[in-house]
Amino acid sequence: MEIHEWMINYTRQTEWIDRRGIFLWIAFYAGGLGGGLYLVSLYFNSLWGMFISWLIIAIIKGGAHLIYLGKPLRFWRIILRPNTSWLARGIIFVFMFIIFTAIQLIFSYWLPGSAAEIVFKSLAGIAALAVTVYTGFVLNTVKAVPFWNSTLLPLLFVLCGIMGGFGLSVIIALNGGNVDISTAETGSRWLLIINALIIVIYLWTAANRETTGKKSVMEQMRGNLAPIFWIGIVALGIVIPLAIAFSSYITGEVSPALLITGVACEVIGGLALRYCVLKAGAYKPLVARAS
Amino acid sequence: MVVDLSRCVRCYACVAACRIEHFLPMGMSWPRLVALDTGGDNPAVSTYSVRCNQCKEAPCVEVCPTGATQQRNDGIVWVDQDKCVGCRYCVIACPYQNRTFLSKDKDKGFFPGKALTNFEKAGKKLYTHQVGTTEKCNFCAERIDAGLAQGLRPGIDREATPACVNTCPAQALTFGDLDNPNSEVSRLIKERKGSQLHPEYGTDPSIYFIDGKIGQADIAQVEDELQQEPVPTGTER
Repeated sequence: MEIHEWMINYTRQTEWIDRRGIFLWIAFYAGGLGGGLYLVSLYFNSLWGMFISWLIIAIIKGGAHLIYLGKPLRFWRIILRPNTSWLARGIIFVFMFIIFTAIQLIFSYWLPGSAAEIVFKSLAGIAALAVTVYTGFVLNTVKAVPFWNSTLLPLLFVLCGIMGGFGLSVIIALNGGNVDISTAETGSRWLLIINALIIVIYLWTAANRETTGKKSVMEQMRGNLAPIFWIGIVALGIVIPLAIAFSSYITGEVSPALLITGVACEVIGGLALRYCVLKAGAYKPLVARAS
Repeated sequence: MVVDLSRCVRCYACVAACRIEHFLPMGMSWPRLVALDTGGDNPAVSTYSVRCNQCKEAPCVEVCPTGATQQRNDGIVWVDQDKCVGCRYCVIACPYQNRTFLSKDKDKGFFPGKALTNFEKAGKKLYTHQVGTTEKCNFCAERIDAGLAQGLRPGIDREATPACVNTCPAQALTFGDLDNPNSEVSRLIKERKGSQLHPEYGTDPSIYFIDGKIGQADIAQVEDELQQEPVPTGTER
């Protein structure tokens, strides 16, 4: 007699994180980071930032999505049902971003200040925001996984993406890019605080949503995911970048090496956050045991 | 479909019949027969025969970005494997975990490293399975369609009834039209208080379970019933 664990126990989803699922995790994070960097670069009018964000989304996100698919040669079919599927909408946003940003970069390079450049900057900006936010909706519309059923998830992913964008713009500034480093640092600092608060609220509401949601939260705090949660999200993603940001704020100056370390920690923290969100997503048992 | 949990004898005939009907690779099973200890003060073994619930409000249809997962007018949810890109959003969205992504390691052959059996060779011609796509139970839609084309009635005539229902020796599975209030399935659901799995998701599954508390059929009783004059389909009793 075989007892299937998924029938009587809480079982976590595996397709979107285990084995080849790691490509989807990378794709989801790259979308947030690239979109966030574009929005920040738009604010600073940094052509380098816009170009790097285009590379992140077109190459890393697009490539990871393609590798993940079971039938990659049919990838174009994935945009055919935007009326009901958030995944279809998301990939349309990605295509729009790639096209609009490419055109905008051409205008920005050869016809800076033209009306066409402004139009395509606006369109690419909207597409970037959509690319950043859609993965949150892809997850929070899955009713079967209570841990994901939160309106905070899209907001968390957007803010995490913009925070990463501010981080990367600091690196661009250090390399002579057209970015005001103190503004980038201030933005990064505030978003770190806001993100930390949203993560706490998100986990607290998830833990109170259903027993399955609580199991997902506990899995991160005390279970197998605890090292990634405490080291990746809390220590590397929040505490160390915050410490560096505040030391920079108090002393007025911080070494470039430390700034780069802070940005690297932010990126690792963002990756760890997506990893934990995907990995901790669990289903209710199909059949409850009698108590 | 109605699953009478009190009748199931855990013979796995439904699983075998489905594998034969659809030439399923060894790494995949559309119906699954699972048993569990009910727990509590007087624990008993209960058996659940599960498969795709053919939900009326199917989340897999909603999330599919390609339109590969579709719902027919009769409610059957099926996957057009030529359109599936293998994104696995449907696998994630199914609250009942009844979808399977057919990866290479699930299709190694019945005897990995050896030549294909004649059964497998026949399957490659008659019922192809595409690695890299998602699959699930389709209530033997091809059987139903072929039967209907001959003027037969699903759930009444064997040729128009899913293979698992036909083969169940304990007659634990009953197939029919849920929209017809006079059908056998509607009667069973009404009289024996049929219940759906996780109705709180709002998916409105088309599979109902009855007598879940009993757990295991009295095999002697089932054998007695099988000695009686056989019914034409194994479904209508």
